[in-house]
Amino acid sequence: MDRNPKSSNKKLKRVAITLIVILAALAALALTKPDRETITASLSTTLIENAGSKYAETYNDFFVFNIIRAKDSNTAETDTYIGIAGNMVNVNTGFMKTLGNVIIWIPALMRGAGVTIQLTMAAVCAGLVLSVFLALGKISKIKPINRFCSAYIFFFRGSPLLMQLFFVYYGLPQLNPAFAINDKFLAAFIAFSLNSGAYCAEIIRAAIQSIEKGQFEASSVLGLSYSQTMRLIIIPQSIRRLIPPVANEFIMMLKDASLVSIIALADLTQVTRSISSSSSSVVVYIPAMIIYLLITALFTFIFGRLEKRFSVYQ
Amino acid sequence: MALIRTENVCKSFNQLDVLKNVTMSVEQGDVVCIIGPSGAGKSTFLRSLIQLERITSGRIFIDEELFLEMKDSQTVKRVDHDEWKRLLLEMGMVFQSFNLFPHKTVLDNVTLAPMHAKKVSKAEAKDRAMSLLARVGLEDKANEYPARLSGGQQQRVAIARALAMEPKIMLFDEPTSALDPELVGEVLSVMKSLAESGMTMLAVTHEMGFAREAADRVIFMADGMILEESNPQEMFTAPQNPRTRQFLNSIL
Repeated sequence: MDRNPKSSNKKLKRVAITLIVILAALAALALTKPDRETITASLSTTLIENAGSKYAETYNDFFVFNIIRAKDSNTAETDTYIGIAGNMVNVNTGFMKTLGNVIIWIPALMRGAGVTIQLTMAAVCAGLVLSVFLALGKISKIKPINRFCSAYIFFFRGSPLLMQLFFVYYGLPQLNPAFAINDKFLAAFIAFSLNSGAYCAEIIRAAIQSIEKGQFEASSVLGLSYSQTMRLIIIPQSIRRLIPPVANEFIMMLKDASLVSIIALADLTQVTRSISSSSSSVVVYIPAMIIYLLITALFTFIFGRLEKRFSVYQ
Repeated sequence: MALIRTENVCKSFNQLDVLKNVTMSVEQGDVVCIIGPSGAGKSTFLRSLIQLERITSGRIFIDEELFLEMKDSQTVKRVDHDEWKRLLLEMGMVFQSFNLFPHKTVLDNVTLAPMHAKKVSKAEAKDRAMSLLARVGLEDKANEYPARLSGGQQQRVAIARALAMEPKIMLFDEPTSALDPELVGEVLSVMKSLAESGMTMLAVTHEMGFAREAADRVIFMADGMILEESNPQEMFTAPQNPRTRQFLNSIL
């Protein structure tokens, strides 16, 4: 035990307390928040009058944060306010304008991030299940099984994920219309989990083969069958060795998931690109990348905890 | 009655002959020690008996039943699957490197095989494990993980784990060679008390003191052959074979 579990628990407790205090303060503010009509009334009336029927209004409201933008569709002139609990500030120029834009983009970016996270989690989890069989197949001494699994792994590791995605989404329907996958998310999920399965299989195989030969021998002389040996002795010991490379696979997949913007699935990257082109500005890449970093940090934290949990016996 | 008997057992790795016509037997209640220089094939012989290595030719009898007959790496005859499993479990084995299961507690190490390979109930396996741990002096370590134990303690757990399967004969493959010198004694004393309780034992060892005190018979192996076999007194005081004399002079 190199790290003291007590000190890390203390740190975690402090973070939790801080979060609770902030949430409580926001909850108190939320109670005093005025409704939408009151906030809309604080907009300047000149733009609304000038725009006439071409007037458009965007209102966003998350918890205590409000944002409201009026837009004259003729002149593309906008009037934007952001605020906390109804205390609105005008953000039409300079840095405040950028900040206002970023806040307006956040709901769309979050929806994109949701797609990215769902795809990553689903694909790697399905890939992991698939990979257990592939890994056992690859170390199997039964020739046909071994050949099939080796070929599978060779194919999916050796060709670009982008091409695999293209093939599943555009190629399969051409081979046979029955294979057409109309749901973009489903197509991406299939391609990504097949690919992830190949990578995870190699991770699992390496972890199993890193277990000392003596563990197999001890199991054998104690009369355990092959499946009992795998289930009770080898795989439980492999799990701890699996965690760091699987965490790596999650992070790689998170970023590879951006490839789905090619088939126009609205993941974080796709949303960012469309915002960027409609706003003719690359500023949106900054919050998008920060969101990627936050997700990565979350994955890293969870896997760090898991690793510690599975290290109890060492 | 011979619990284990071998006839002309040969084993070769590629071109290298590791065992050459090894013929021997272990009677019920016998304590037999195999000594000899490293590379003599002692460990390979033990591992061949318990099928961690496959012999190239020869016959192995367990309980006077022809367990396996091989010729030119081909199986001539072997007992059927169920009998194979049953006869193999008449042997327990203790390894040089302990090979405890590191992710299981001491108690789980001992109960695992009876519960899964023999379908003994959990309560029964636990009772038996606790009495075996008491026998090797480790009942207070039942809930520790192996990594928390000293080498000597780990090897005693390994002995208890092998005994839990109720073998008729215990095979020891250099059980003290991986231990610090001050930890050798505790393992040897467990082995001695096991021998005194009437357990049949076949031990490959470099502990001449143990062989002299506990063994009924000592076998000297070199170059894959049994060169001399006698009781401990004769072996250590009046060895017949010049190779035995040379070996004993070099270590005593």
